[in-house]
Amino acid sequence: MARLLKKTTGLVGLAVSHNPHERLGNIYSKILASLQTMPQDAAYRKYTEQLVSERFNHVKTEPDVDKLEKKINCGQIEEVIFQAECELSLSRKMSEWKPWEPLVEEPPPNQWKWPI
Amino acid sequence: MAASLVRFVRGGLGRSYNLARTSCLLQQQTRLQSSETSPTIRPTDAVTHSQLAAFGEFVAEMMPKYIQQVQVTCYNELEVMIHPDGVIPVLTFLRDHTNAQFRSMIDLTAVDIPARQNRFEIVYNLLSLRYNSRVRVKTYTDELSPVDSAVPVHIAANWYEREVWDMYGVFFANHPDLRRILTDYGFEGHPFRKDFPLSGYVEVRYDDEVKRVVAEPVELSQEFRKFDLNTPWEVFPAYREPKEVAPKLEAGDAAPEKK
Repeated sequence: MARLLKKTTGLVGLAVSHNPHERLGNIYSKILASLQTMPQDAAYRKYTEQLVSERFNHVKTEPDVDKLEKKINCGQIEEVIFQAECELSLSRKMSEWKPWEPLVEEPPPNQWKWPI
Repeated sequence: MAASLVRFVRGGLGRSYNLARTSCLLQQQTRLQSSETSPTIRPTDAVTHSQLAAFGEFVAEMMPKYIQQVQVTCYNELEVMIHPDGVIPVLTFLRDHTNAQFRSMIDLTAVDIPARQNRFEIVYNLLSLRYNSRVRVKTYTDELSPVDSAVPVHIAANWYEREVWDMYGVFFANHPDLRRILTDYGFEGHPFRKDFPLSGYVEVRYDDEVKRVVAEPVELSQEFRKFDLNTPWEVFPAYREPKEVAPKLEAGDAAPEKK
């Protein structure tokens, strides 16, 4: 009921979402699919899978939006959707960059020594 | 403010001590610190420090390819040192990851240290409004090698990078509009470089004969060029290096007595 009365998120450029569960489930399953392409021991895959599946479980088990917002505890549901969209685009870029590989190049000696 | 000062004078030392106890005016408290026994030491915030250290380790574990070093300074600021190839990946990760969300670029600047092999340090200061925390990302370059522009990640980097280009001459690859931003039309050189002379290269004056402003190379008499560059003060007392290293013990030597 409260959902039907919600007119605005109060944030510029962020419209009220009318089907947040559907939208979140959609994005989260896409993120998980994109993470599947990464190697098993990559830290990014490990931590992001943990984070996303925890939120995904909340989305599946909690039909009430206000309680869901409290459980996820990361702002309004529209903000959570925005974060999920960012994570999706990041995970796709990550599989291109492969940041779990070893360091490209050691810093020159005394590069980070301060004072010199 | 004035009232409190007046009270301080009228009340004498004994009474103003009580006043400072009850009122929360910082001014009075700092004045009276000398009579108290506890020294003025900045309180350490162990919780914030360990949180930042944990987040730093988390970021370093996520992107071992680009992150060379992570440190938390004594003022509880997290610093992430990266390889110049990793500017876009690390900034994008810090912006888009749900546990980071550093969506605002607060500042981008450079530091010139001519003694180093890569003389310029590029510094990015980021803010996460969601988690109310800040992070500083540092990378390095020299005069010739370009750094990837951060504009595709943070729009705010546009003018900052123009400023760094103008002041230090660091070239940013893929910048949409890399022009001078602060110096005058026709200016040559990069003023914030350590080897840029204090007087500049050209001087501008009005010439009465040609009736216009003319720019000429600077001519200074030699006595003005004798600078005393050695400061008499110790600049980094907190970073004093140990005078002599303790001699290494060979196996079988007895350890010297500790004083």
